[in-house]
Amino acid sequence: MAYPNELIRNFSIIAHIDHGKSTLADRMMEQTDTVAMRDMSEQLLDSMDIERERGITIKSSAVRMFYTHTDGKRYMFNLIDTPGHVDFNYEVSRALAACEGAVLVVDATQGIEAQTLANVYLAVDNGLEVVPVINKIDLPSAEPERTAQEIEDVIGIEAHSAPKISAKSGLNVDQVLSAVVNTVPPPVGDPDAPLTALVFDCFYDNYKGALSYVRVFDGTVKEGMRIRSMATGHEFEVTEVGVFTPAPMAVDELTAGEVGYIAASIKSVAETKVGDTITSAEHPASKPLPGYKQANPMVFCGIYPADGAQYGDLRDALDKLKLNDASLSYEQETSNALGYGFRCGFLGLLHMEIIQERLEREFDLDLVTTAPSVIYKIKRTSGEEEMIDNPSNLPSVTEIEQLEEPVVNATIMTPSEYVGALMEICQERRGVFVDMNYIEESRVRMHYILPLNEIIYDFFDQLKSRSRGYASFDYELKGYEKSDLVKLDFLLNGDMCDALSTIVHRDRAYAKGRAVAEKLCEVIPRQQFEIPVQAAIGGKIIARETVRAVRKDVLAKCYGGDITRKKKLLEKQKEGKKRMRQVGTVSLPSDAFMSVLRIN
Amino acid sequence: MAGIYLHIPFCVRKCAYCDFVSFAEGCVPEGYVEALLTELELVARGGGYPAAFDTVFFGGGTPSLLSGAQMKTILDALRVHFAIRADAEISMECNPGTVSPEKLAAYRAAGINRLSIGLQSTHDVLLNEIGRIHHFAQFLETLSSARAAGFDNINVDLMHGLPNQTLEQYLDSLKTVCDLGVQHISAYSLILEEHTPLYFRVEKGEVALPDEDTVADMQDAGIEYLEQRGYHRYEISNFAQDGFECRHNRNYWDNGEYLGFGIAAHAAVRQGRWTRFANVDSLDEYYRLLARGKRPLAETIRLTQRDEMFECVMLGLRLVRGVERARFFARFELDIAEAYPLAMEKLRKRGWVIETEQAIALNSKGLDLQNEALGFFM
Repeated sequence: MAYPNELIRNFSIIAHIDHGKSTLADRMMEQTDTVAMRDMSEQLLDSMDIERERGITIKSSAVRMFYTHTDGKRYMFNLIDTPGHVDFNYEVSRALAACEGAVLVVDATQGIEAQTLANVYLAVDNGLEVVPVINKIDLPSAEPERTAQEIEDVIGIEAHSAPKISAKSGLNVDQVLSAVVNTVPPPVGDPDAPLTALVFDCFYDNYKGALSYVRVFDGTVKEGMRIRSMATGHEFEVTEVGVFTPAPMAVDELTAGEVGYIAASIKSVAETKVGDTITSAEHPASKPLPGYKQANPMVFCGIYPADGAQYGDLRDALDKLKLNDASLSYEQETSNALGYGFRCGFLGLLHMEIIQERLEREFDLDLVTTAPSVIYKIKRTSGEEEMIDNPSNLPSVTEIEQLEEPVVNATIMTPSEYVGALMEICQERRGVFVDMNYIEESRVRMHYILPLNEIIYDFFDQLKSRSRGYASFDYELKGYEKSDLVKLDFLLNGDMCDALSTIVHRDRAYAKGRAVAEKLCEVIPRQQFEIPVQAAIGGKIIARETVRAVRKDVLAKCYGGDITRKKKLLEKQKEGKKRMRQVGTVSLPSDAFMSVLRIN
Repeated sequence: MAGIYLHIPFCVRKCAYCDFVSFAEGCVPEGYVEALLTELELVARGGGYPAAFDTVFFGGGTPSLLSGAQMKTILDALRVHFAIRADAEISMECNPGTVSPEKLAAYRAAGINRLSIGLQSTHDVLLNEIGRIHHFAQFLETLSSARAAGFDNINVDLMHGLPNQTLEQYLDSLKTVCDLGVQHISAYSLILEEHTPLYFRVEKGEVALPDEDTVADMQDAGIEYLEQRGYHRYEISNFAQDGFECRHNRNYWDNGEYLGFGIAAHAAVRQGRWTRFANVDSLDEYYRLLARGKRPLAETIRLTQRDEMFECVMLGLRLVRGVERARFFARFELDIAEAYPLAMEKLRKRGWVIETEQAIALNSKGLDLQNEALGFFM
């Protein structure tokens, strides 16, 4: 039997990293007896190891709980968790499309941050009701009243009556539950109308196959029903419907307004599309639900298996990750140094790191990664225009009429004492100052236009370290601008190594070429012969360093009859060699390709 | 040729660079000596070892922590259980600062006829840096006591590549030791092993090791100097006056048979197939197994002929003389050059090999890059 819509509340939690979103979700689950205290491992919704270790949420996750309100009625809450990092705006917009409301958590010691702001605007744009919550009021440095004022000033919603809580201790979390009932509107939908269900996430379960996380807007879905994907036209039979408690639990049906999952013997990962509308094959809806902001990859890098034989494993792993992560893109590429691999596109640098880490951890792969790049727009002398995401595909200088690079509108929020230091970073990164204003006496919001390729590596880290962790940062793509860019190549013993090529601004090319050549000399092990390491722009050598030849590799004396130990060393040496990449005559360790980045 | 190795895993204090199995104790516990005796008996009873032995070697740790009486007990038991040839080379490692003239005399009386003294450097600053317990002056006392006790076959260990060590200091150490007229010198490089105190200090930047080139210079200059002084290089890091090569170690490099006793000791014997044994490396485990009448083995590896062949190459190519063709042929009924045609080709191409009718050997360049050369054979 369908649960009455007026007793359902579907909502997300929006918060900046570390402002306590996952902890609040945990407390809500506890206080609604969704999860027994003894089963609580900290931050239950963050089920990936990486999420828990880094203290961030990457994937949306959904959970159903039941809350008995002061009016005596039992409400069904569907909480859809959202990531807080700028890279994952896309996932946020997906989660929000499935909700009627959003709980905004703001840290009373920090105030509103740039990314929170971006996500709140997303929620408001999606027509969601926002429930402000002020967290961490138990900390001595908490300033709840000032934070409430800031929310009112910056976002423009009433916040002085917002629950002031400590998610950590559980203080006043009941007020949040209550506010959700009172502020978030119940879903509207007709359980008897033709089925429309929005797929807002999917997950590959080893037993059940691909699970689609859905929000049912109209109609009902149950086991045995034939459903149709409105994006692909493919039809499937539903093998199970269920909800997250937070472990998946089968239920008889999901009706209009509810959130849960559908398993439908979908074998190929490519058949499930996040953002798709699912309808009934027999009584199809006339039109799909509105999609949401599509995410486009902005950062690209080459990912190769350290052992060429693992190419197939890498492809399967990417296929599987793609199922959980629609924003990941990849296509096959080959490199003279690295062999067969993939050019992968990511939403941002954190996204890139997380995918690499998941590939290595969850799929046990050893990877070689090349320096990240952005998409450049090239106008050839022949008049043709082209987009290039791999520096090694850049045509020769004589064929290029003009080069354009992507630039972003960046918002930085910071305590005013760090303004000078942060402006310096932006200047160093070729930033163009737009404006600056005080959101309150000691907090500043700055706008800059920055080339994307200047922020894809360690910009965020720099920002954090030069503001003692207080500054926050958000960006959106502004468009393309003409720029004086050159391709910087590296030659090892005379052979060009394509995987090391990067595109840089001409003013920086010399310094960067020299720095990278020096770095390469540190990381390339000495070999039997001397290796010249050269940096070149369009065939002109701009820097040269030398890796000197190895003189001795056998220093140990043989240990008292322990021959196995020596043999193990030799085997390790052989293994190490296998993992080296051959560029012409030179063996290069896998991490050389990333080390190019670690240059100041 | 066949040898016996006994491991005495106790030291006054562990050196900063040491990752051998050893424990800081002022003496060797009686329990350990008793356990060794039990192990000797067990192995002797089990059979499957060579009929007679040409060498015995006490290594450590610090074997010179054994009292004269303990040493006599062990050697007597050895002779009861195994046939030790009358002319056998019976060596022990000995650290300055752990022996008295009386103790050395007792060792000699018990049958020890070769001493290997762990000097490492003649410079007290350097000795202190690597955590050795002795001063150079103590070494001099030990050496003269040893001679007075009748030892006339003495090795001295020296190291290069020590923290802050200069080439001049190293050559000075070599000169001092040559002047003292010992018969044998082991000159090896400091290997920075992980998980040692020195490793952590280097990681933290508290001490600096000489760079790769300086270490290579030290080694090259050392080899040249020792040859000049009549110590010929017969193995990568071993030098001897004529007739004083260490027979026990020679047996390892010839891939001969040997037994090993004590924790973490290794053995290799032919029991049908070529077989290697490794003892457990924990004292508790060692005592526990022996108390139950079991051999304290951690690992038994039966090798394929191909593996055995590779070991012969790996060990034999450490010797300046190289792998003897006749010996190799007698063992495998195959000439070494025929067994490894591709590897031989690579060696020739690099110009690292000396081929004669008697042996296949690496020249000095090949010895410098022996690991790379061995890679060809894998």
